[in-house]
Amino acid sequence: MADANIQVPVTVLTGYLGAGKTTLLNRILTENHGRKYAVVINEFGELGVDNDLVVDSDEEVFEMNNGCICCTVRGDLIRIVDGLMKRRDKFDGIIIETTGLANPAPVAQTFFVDDNVKAKTRLDAIVTVVDAKHLPARLADSHEAADQIAFADVIVLNKTDLVTPEELDAVEATIRGINRFAIIHRTQRAELPIAQVMDRGAFDLSRILALHPDFLDGDDDHEHNEDVSSMSFEVEKPIDPEKFNAWIGVLLQDKGADLLRTKGILHYANEDRRFAFQAVHMIADGDFIGPAKDGDARASRLVFIGRNLNRPQLRRGFESCAAD
Amino acid sequence: MSQTAEAAFLLRSRGISRDLDAFVVAAGFSRDGRRTGFALGDGTVRIAQVGVPTDWTSVTVHDGAVLDFATDPTGDGFISGGDDGKLRRIAGDGSISDVASFGSKWVEHVATYALDKGKGLIAASAGKIVRLFDQSGQLLKELIHPSTVTGLVFDGKGKRIGASHYNGASLWFVAAKTDTPRKLEWKGSHTGILIHPEGEAVVTAMQENALHGWKLPDGAHMRMSGYPAKTSSLSFSRNGKWMASSGADAMVLWPFFGGGPMGKAPIELAGGDGIICTQVACHPKDDIVAGGFSDGLVVVADIASSRILPVVPPDHGPISTLGWSPDGTQLAVGTETGFAALVDFAKR
Repeated sequence: MADANIQVPVTVLTGYLGAGKTTLLNRILTENHGRKYAVVINEFGELGVDNDLVVDSDEEVFEMNNGCICCTVRGDLIRIVDGLMKRRDKFDGIIIETTGLANPAPVAQTFFVDDNVKAKTRLDAIVTVVDAKHLPARLADSHEAADQIAFADVIVLNKTDLVTPEELDAVEATIRGINRFAIIHRTQRAELPIAQVMDRGAFDLSRILALHPDFLDGDDDHEHNEDVSSMSFEVEKPIDPEKFNAWIGVLLQDKGADLLRTKGILHYANEDRRFAFQAVHMIADGDFIGPAKDGDARASRLVFIGRNLNRPQLRRGFESCAAD
Repeated sequence: MSQTAEAAFLLRSRGISRDLDAFVVAAGFSRDGRRTGFALGDGTVRIAQVGVPTDWTSVTVHDGAVLDFATDPTGDGFISGGDDGKLRRIAGDGSISDVASFGSKWVEHVATYALDKGKGLIAASAGKIVRLFDQSGQLLKELIHPSTVTGLVFDGKGKRIGASHYNGASLWFVAAKTDTPRKLEWKGSHTGILIHPEGEAVVTAMQENALHGWKLPDGAHMRMSGYPAKTSSLSFSRNGKWMASSGADAMVLWPFFGGGPMGKAPIELAGGDGIICTQVACHPKDDIVAGGFSDGLVVVADIASSRILPVVPPDHGPISTLGWSPDGTQLAVGTETGFAALVDFAKR
């Protein structure tokens, strides 16, 4: 039997109806990579999916009884993962395609909240497919389009042949205004090397910094009109873990509904190892990772993607976590 | 484990076992107790004749995994549901026939009940739908729930069927002319269900590592919490005095007598080493409970004296199923890593 101790990687594919999600999915499945995937699709899928192991899901979003209003999970995924583990040796990874209107938060939170799911699988990345031509209209008429971009680790900016180069630059700037930290790939017919979307390790705490080309940049001054934005902060002095835990705990409790994703790498006082931290809304996860390489700056960094981000307040809060 | 304790495992002296190379989803016995079936994640069912040391028969029943498995209420075999959307009957000789198809939906839960005069009931769920059949596979009812059914169980008399789902459970009368369920409501995701053998309570497992219950008939709420992990297995003792549960580092047994379980402490059996109990199964005749753990250990405990009898050593992967034969002389054991065993408890 397959080794039951290896966590199955899970890739989440989101994007509006017609953006090219199913095209990308079929591309991943048919490429000659020798890997087998279990595919979880919703019952309103646009096109057929060409795969041996396809699971129909109902996208049942459940609230948790833990007093946290934004803490929702996908009950169907908990059951599906449990069922798939009974035939664990039949596939190498799981791909979850969400409906066009889905908010990615419950999917992501499922992988943090449920112990069985956490033990058996690991969330690899959230991949969002957007349509270069229709994205501005989608952003104007729905919350979910911005959420899907905000949550993304990888954005496939598809159907670039339908817009002018100027329009394409404008739409990419709009995406950057929402999420500065995702990797953007411009494509036609969702054509791109599969390695750009699979096995990203985007939720791997030890790789949190490596994946974000913009992570190390200072603050930027993107002009944007979207209600979702992203910000990063840096503190040069070592961090006091108690102060940080107290501050981030209250922040996530109070503003968790607005904070879609939070990530950070912290250098604690009197500790060589770095502390990596991430949260989806109020649900946080963190652990020590290896020490910084010699010569690397010892600044601590935090990234927020969300609504109503108050830059001065977040900056002051993070700076107040410095050790005395 | 010391050498003496190692030698005391009943599997060594009174068990037979096989490595079946696929997740053992469920194990059960035929109605006459002469056959045991192990339902596997590779879609096969392995059938062994109790007390006969011959090869086990392997039958491919589903194109995918078996998801649930129950005793055929009238025949000499089993009923199984799979992730191929099929509900099938496996006769004792290994022949297979279709009971129903649920299309592309997984058949996640199967429950059966043997009535008298050669009659019986078969229930299966796929998504939000529960279908109820007679023993021949004739559809009697289709029961629709507000969300996906996560557990399915008959009461002790075969008069009612209970289904757990989001925000509670539904209790349906099997013979009702009009189908309106008794709704037992409690906010949250309920992931499994059990009915007291005398019909005095319904208990569900919940996503938040707790159990919820409703006293019947008044529907008073019961809350049983403190579990470090999710409860995946619940079992009432033969007369309903105790309810055993998994999800802690011991078998946790709640007293359903003397005003319990509310305000009463549960008893904990075979605990203390920090290993989570994954399966429990109460004996059909005596106040004895079998417990399986995530390290592969299986024990049988006498509830009154708390005495523990070691059955299977912790060597074969997390215990995924336990089942007693109808007369209580045989215990079937299965693990996530494909180990299956049959242990003989008959007097010699």
